[in-house]
Amino acid sequence: MSEVYIIGADMIAFGRYPDRNPAQLGGEAALMALDDAGLGIKDVDILYTGSSFTAGASMSQQIMREIGQTGIPCVNVSNACASGATAVREAFTAIKSGMYDVAMAIGTEMNPRGMLGGGGSDGLTPEGIFGSGSMPAVFAECGVVHAQKYGTTLEQFAKIAVKNRKHGSLNPKAKFQTEASLEEVLASEMIAYPLTKLMCSANVDGAAALVVVSEKKAKELGMDRAVRIAGSALASDPWEAHNPELFDPNSVTRLAAKTAFDMAGIGPQDLDLVELHDCFATAEMLHYENLGLCGDGDAARMIDDGEVVLGGRIPVNVSGGLIAKGHPIGATGVANMVEIVEHLRGEAGNRQVEGARVGLSHVLGFGTSAAVHILQKA
Amino acid sequence: MQKPGNSTICISDAGEPWIRGFRCKKCSTAADKHTLACRRCFARGSMEEYRAGNTGKLVTWSIVHRSYPGIEVPFVSAIVDLDDGLTLKANLTGCDAEDLHEAMPVTLEFDDAGGAKDKEGNSFVAYHFVAQPIAEKELSQ
Repeated sequence: MSEVYIIGADMIAFGRYPDRNPAQLGGEAALMALDDAGLGIKDVDILYTGSSFTAGASMSQQIMREIGQTGIPCVNVSNACASGATAVREAFTAIKSGMYDVAMAIGTEMNPRGMLGGGGSDGLTPEGIFGSGSMPAVFAECGVVHAQKYGTTLEQFAKIAVKNRKHGSLNPKAKFQTEASLEEVLASEMIAYPLTKLMCSANVDGAAALVVVSEKKAKELGMDRAVRIAGSALASDPWEAHNPELFDPNSVTRLAAKTAFDMAGIGPQDLDLVELHDCFATAEMLHYENLGLCGDGDAARMIDDGEVVLGGRIPVNVSGGLIAKGHPIGATGVANMVEIVEHLRGEAGNRQVEGARVGLSHVLGFGTSAAVHILQKA
Repeated sequence: MQKPGNSTICISDAGEPWIRGFRCKKCSTAADKHTLACRRCFARGSMEEYRAGNTGKLVTWSIVHRSYPGIEVPFVSAIVDLDDGLTLKANLTGCDAEDLHEAMPVTLEFDDAGGAKDKEGNSFVAYHFVAQPIAEKELSQ
């Protein structure tokens, strides 16, 4: 089977675009990724688009109306926060199958305003009676499990937000490009203990795209800036006690990580950087352990010792992550991989992880899916 | 007329509310829904209805300070394992935030969902958890 390479990768700056629509944002990212690859829409054999709030709106076809209707197969992917990464995985399997040489994966989203999660019901509104269904509360509850088990403190969760805001200050495409001190993070509005507002992901619009090709096509176009997808895994939540009443971000992430590492034939110790799903600071803490970056119960020490900051042992979310760069739901999984590609190419500017050769991207979709991709410099 | 506030609540002909759980005949796994097969062991048609008890232990929680418009805050959103296996989520009362801890004993008590009514004016039956610090003291002795 053919190896699979990323030869085009780009994203628009994350923020608010009140006068645009998701097809325009996705189309813009697609053209940027095609330019990066030196290709045009006529060269693309198949298109996958991930989006969550416009699931059912045939987003791929809408994007083709923006950038050129070539008649190729279009597949629209919706998998909550894992939508974009699921689109990339579909592109990967399409190339791997040998049926196609050039696939494009786009993630695009215009998030609704306000706090996500919860949702109405036909009968009694459950919020505030049967606990909370808000995303901050759900991820706060997961964080409290870790705190009860290992003594993790509010300050340690807050340090993750400080780190990601510091990284975001180096990323011209991040929503928040200013640092936030520990005092500021702790003093910001308490949303759902132990999560303050600055420990929650930034609610923004955005789009990102990848051009994924076969080995034959990559060689034809030149391997200089190519990045190999060494591992691609998608998992759904296996049975776990308490789930789904207690949302379980852990077992599903561990399952996807194991599959991706096995496929790539490497382990966590081989990674140079990680972009993981820091939808909330509590989630990032859990994922250090879930992805094997440290042993169970060792995550808080990693943030205390600065191992996950740019320049540390294993930098995590040097893009600023979802907390600083922003979290346009369907675009996030693609954008995480755009960030890894830039580092493996040595093109990440002043936030470059020096000598990066292997990176891992991870997303977690509520409901539940986890996707893990391992990218290697070709 | 009283209506169940969620799908785990049943109301007897005499108007008495109870919590309905389902348990797998083969592996004893509990669920709050009747499913086609057991989620855990995949046995088909194995989920049997049972009447859940009203005591349990706190698994985790969050103190919610910002919710959706119109929802009164703060409140404690709690996840509880009932002693006979069912996991449920509801508000928790009767305990200061700093005293909350894993495995804290709680009871499930039915309520009127804060007086909420549907469009036809029907009231709801809901439930919340109440921390049981006295029972906990006895346990530790």
